[in-house]
Amino acid sequence: MKLLNIANRNYIATLILVFVIGSIVGYFVLKSIVNNEFNQKLFAEKDQLIYELHTFEDLKSNYYLNIGDKIQLEEVDYDPKIKSVLSDTIMYDEFEKKELPFRILTFSDNFKGRFYEVRITKSLLSNNDLMKGITEIMILVVVLLSISLIIINRFLSKKIWDPFHQILNNLKEFKISKPEPLSTIDTTVDEFRDLKNALNNMIGKSISDYQNLKEYTENTSHEIQTPLAIIRNKSEMLLQEPLSESQLTEIGKIYEASGRLSRLKEGLSMLTKIDNNQFVDNEPIHIRRFIKKKLANVEELILIKNLKVTTKYQADPIIEMNNDLAYMMVTNLLSNAIKHNLENGRIDILLGAHELLIENTGRDPGIPTKQLFNRFKRTGKNIESVGLGLSLIKRIADYYKMTIEYTYNNNWHLIKITF
Amino acid sequence: MNILIVEDEKALAENMVNYLDQSGYHCEWVDNLTNAQEKVWSYSYDCIIVDITLPDGSGLDVIERLKAIKSKSGIIIVSAKNAMEDKIAGLDIGADDYLTKPFDLSELNARIKSVIRRRSFEAQNEIIFQEIAISPYDHVVTVHGKPLNLTKKEFDLLLYFVSNQKRVITKESIAEHLWGDDMDMVDSFDFIYSHLKNLRKKIEEKGGKDYIQTVYGIGYKFMKE
Repeated sequence: MKLLNIANRNYIATLILVFVIGSIVGYFVLKSIVNNEFNQKLFAEKDQLIYELHTFEDLKSNYYLNIGDKIQLEEVDYDPKIKSVLSDTIMYDEFEKKELPFRILTFSDNFKGRFYEVRITKSLLSNNDLMKGITEIMILVVVLLSISLIIINRFLSKKIWDPFHQILNNLKEFKISKPEPLSTIDTTVDEFRDLKNALNNMIGKSISDYQNLKEYTENTSHEIQTPLAIIRNKSEMLLQEPLSESQLTEIGKIYEASGRLSRLKEGLSMLTKIDNNQFVDNEPIHIRRFIKKKLANVEELILIKNLKVTTKYQADPIIEMNNDLAYMMVTNLLSNAIKHNLENGRIDILLGAHELLIENTGRDPGIPTKQLFNRFKRTGKNIESVGLGLSLIKRIADYYKMTIEYTYNNNWHLIKITF
Repeated sequence: MNILIVEDEKALAENMVNYLDQSGYHCEWVDNLTNAQEKVWSYSYDCIIVDITLPDGSGLDVIERLKAIKSKSGIIIVSAKNAMEDKIAGLDIGADDYLTKPFDLSELNARIKSVIRRRSFEAQNEIIFQEIAISPYDHVVTVHGKPLNLTKKEFDLLLYFVSNQKRVITKESIAEHLWGDDMDMVDSFDFIYSHLKNLRKKIEEKGGKDYIQTVYGIGYKFMKE
């Protein structure tokens, strides 16, 4: 749910609640005030009437006061001893021509030796109208306020949150390997300015860290290669000298070790590059073509080992990935299948629309297949191999969110990649 | 044959000069861009070996200078960075080949020979070694005038041997020369032995001699007797 909606929802709920409670309380308070005022008026009229009756000579049986109000005097032969009784009733109103609510104040008194029961009748209509009006105004105010609040919120938040969305979009587009500064977002909101500055600082730092790491990797690569090249070439030169066989063997070992070291370094810097997301230029890769090309390249190798290769292409999937990484992945997969195969062994390749299965005969790895994905895990005998092949495959698969499974069963190794 | 080596690392340059001198080339060495520019301006070389990273600039500048003066020299880039961009940039501006450090001197030697052959239109000429005649251009080998039926790898292997006569060539160097990136595909060097066995057999079948000597545990040497 959007932040805006959550805020709006809460605003409006609170608003309505407050207004409902306020209206109810207001209604009762007003009602009692109006009621009191009304009653006071009735009593004031009573006092006035008593004064007039005691002061003036003639008595009428009916007095009409305001429209709808009237006073009735009824002579009775005994003293009813009614102090003051208030009662509400509905009567037919001559003026409005309909039945309307009235309040009657009944009391008794004696004037000039006679007993009278006096009823002052007053229309309640204005009272009720007032209450109705107040309630209507309250409701109208709630509705208008809610609507205007929603509209203002919508409008304001679009405008206020705009820099936030811009920042967010910039972040989504951001790639550490091709850094671009956050576009110049213009905002007067302190929070967003802080956010922008904090992000700019963070990005700046990330970029410089990334650059440092990249430079470090490149420099190490460069600086290590040169001494390695010297060791290799010097030992190669020594091999040309007329030395004894045992001396030559020792030099041969130096030469060989330097070669392994440089391959190891290649592999490790490749892993680092993948970890640093330095392979960003993706392109559509025809996996099928890659496999075919690679198999053609190593045809003689397969022949020498006398391997039987069967390929089944059920589909021709095209995967968006980096050319170098795709090449490395296919090469390493096939390389493993050939390298760790048995003499006269078999390789079965199956390519589906969303999966690649490479199955080959081979010795028992001796350790759980899962561990073979770790760096430098290898089955005991292959000293020549650097031990990074599967780790590289796994890393590339992870990089492109492919799943990779490796199972060994009864002299058959199966690697399944799902993409 | 004159070769100019532009390499800032003295120890590496020495090796190249030694190895190539022994192969019958005349080598000159400079260790910076300024001297390299002067040399290529004043003299003409059959092949120039350029390191990309030099203390006073990029080796690519030398190549641009060579192209500007329409030099006929072959150009081989050697670089410690196995960076695709460098490789493509170098080949784009007119380098003939690219080698990543560390490399074998035997490989460098073979590449120089190949570049010079291509540059000097010797490609059509045959390389003669005793009774063996190799035509690099159309991939034909004859022994006593009789054609051999070699696979591509066997042909490459023979050419590599002939390019590095009288030298100990390591198994690793052969593997890398023949298989390049796919070198990792093999867990032993048995396959080299396999290629060699076939090559020997095919040459001997046509009455040729076996010039391939085994240097135990290290590699092979190609020489007459």
